[in-house]
Amino acid sequence: LQVPVLRPMDLMVEATPRRVFANAHTYHINSISVNSDYETYMSADDLRINLWNFEITNQSFNIVDIKPANMEELTEVITAAEFHPHHCNTFVYSSSKGTIRLCDMRTAALCDRHAKFFEEPEDPSNRSFFSEIISSISDVKFSHSGRYIMTRDYLTVKVWDLNMENRPIETYQVHDYLRSKLCSLYENDCIFDKFECVWNGSDSVIMTGSYNNFFRMFDRNTKRDVTLEASRENSKPRAILKPRKVCVGGKRRKDEISVDSLDFSKKILHTAWHPSENIIAVAATNNLYIFQDKVN
Amino acid sequence: MLGRGLKRKLSDYEENMAGLSSAFDSSRSLPYPLKRQLVLNMCLTKLQTYKMLVEPNLHRSVLIANTVRQIQEEMRQESNQQPVTICPGIAPASHSYTGLESPGIALQLPSGVGQQESHCCDLRSAEDPIENSLLIVSDDDMSSAISSILKDLDFVEDISPPTCLVPTGDDQPKFPENTGLKLEDDRQDLKGAECVFGSFEISNSTSYLKDLAIDDIFEDIDTSMYDSDFCCPPLMPPRSPSLATEEPLKTFPSCNSSSANNIQICRTDLSELDHIMEILVGS
Repeated sequence: LQVPVLRPMDLMVEATPRRVFANAHTYHINSISVNSDYETYMSADDLRINLWNFEITNQSFNIVDIKPANMEELTEVITAAEFHPHHCNTFVYSSSKGTIRLCDMRTAALCDRHAKFFEEPEDPSNRSFFSEIISSISDVKFSHSGRYIMTRDYLTVKVWDLNMENRPIETYQVHDYLRSKLCSLYENDCIFDKFECVWNGSDSVIMTGSYNNFFRMFDRNTKRDVTLEASRENSKPRAILKPRKVCVGGKRRKDEISVDSLDFSKKILHTAWHPSENIIAVAATNNLYIFQDKVN
Repeated sequence: MLGRGLKRKLSDYEENMAGLSSAFDSSRSLPYPLKRQLVLNMCLTKLQTYKMLVEPNLHRSVLIANTVRQIQEEMRQESNQQPVTICPGIAPASHSYTGLESPGIALQLPSGVGQQESHCCDLRSAEDPIENSLLIVSDDDMSSAISSILKDLDFVEDISPPTCLVPTGDDQPKFPENTGLKLEDDRQDLKGAECVFGSFEISNSTSYLKDLAIDDIFEDIDTSMYDSDFCCPPLMPPRSPSLATEEPLKTFPSCNSSSANNIQICRTDLSELDHIMEILVGS
């Protein structure tokens, strides 16, 4: 009889599902959001949003359903959804038409009627064949304070005050130089890329990704913005990131990159910001970068 | 095409499209109707491609379908302001195809997600005013009869049943078979059941169209650009609408230019057609 011996091994990481919540979605799931009660969460697909209890895997409540009786009348889909950070009865969802609906689960079992409806009137001077496509919201995020929501569409990030539904309070141009390239971007499907956006812990800075491994940060107070690159070729570990600039036309300065040289296969769709520290995570193709504030 | 800033030769259709979209973006001198046509072509091509996918993207399809609808609405409004122009061999860039007082082919195209299913119809209506012109000029009496018939009835694009899509129960997005985008004003009332894809067939009562030597009418249409995977399915009798929503996604059948000679028209009310034909021909 051999006594079992403890042998040190290399750490092995294996991801296994602890619970599977199945068969509640007919269409592609685009969002999940944990509620502030930490007992429930919601999942959203193109046409429906379901509410789950963590302990119950075979049952969910449908809280939003925008599927028309006749599918040929379908002109709008749900693109993202999120719970309010403090009010467990409140959530928002965005649509492919650039609108955001805020819903209160206390009013009805099926939240078909929104409590608030956020939409910015279209700018007629910017109208093009692709106006609707680029207005589709790819991500919606509550601020940590719960007072604002941020939305990302193809070219901009917008900050909305929950008390003002008719237009955003701030609009930031992520890569406006792409506005004149929309047809090419439509042709190669890049126009459908879904970029996310994040708040920093104090809601003073917002961040989102772009192409060519660039990501952008906007300081809401100083109105300054910066473009940084997440790539191993162009920066060494622990080196300070150098701000990048995209040259739109005319003369290109030495460190600038022209729009036509941008690599559209290198897109940063997912980023995250530590809830209290200045540490960010940036996903670039198949690499994950972690950046932090300069350590003195 | 945007990418890594490398130059490539335009050697096949895809690269041609890339060249065209670059031209769209960079050229100010490209006339608006041409730009619009280019975008419409791209939309329809994409919808066709998406239909081939095992798991089509509903979000993208809806966005593209809305874009197509918006363009066609714009074209329709423009044409309503134009006087009748009838001349064969009009370049596709002109939009006189809808500028017919007694409209030629009143095509009903799918709205919403079903947009892709009307690709064939869309192509011809968008691309080839020639066919309409030819219809008009080929035989005055017959063509005007057809015009009024087509105008009065709802014509719906039809396709044969799907060939390769395998729906996996709840996992498959359920696309509509019904088609509803209307080019003409007077197509608000769909007679009877809405057309279900793959559910129409040329029945005997439509023989007058066969008599028309349709082949001749469509002979000159160049659909080589859309040769890829198209074919014109036979029309089949309409199914009841209750089945429509249960149908899984259907692929778009392949089509080539020779079979483009078949009419891509469904009639929702064949008995009415019979009746009208009796009146016209019986006398």
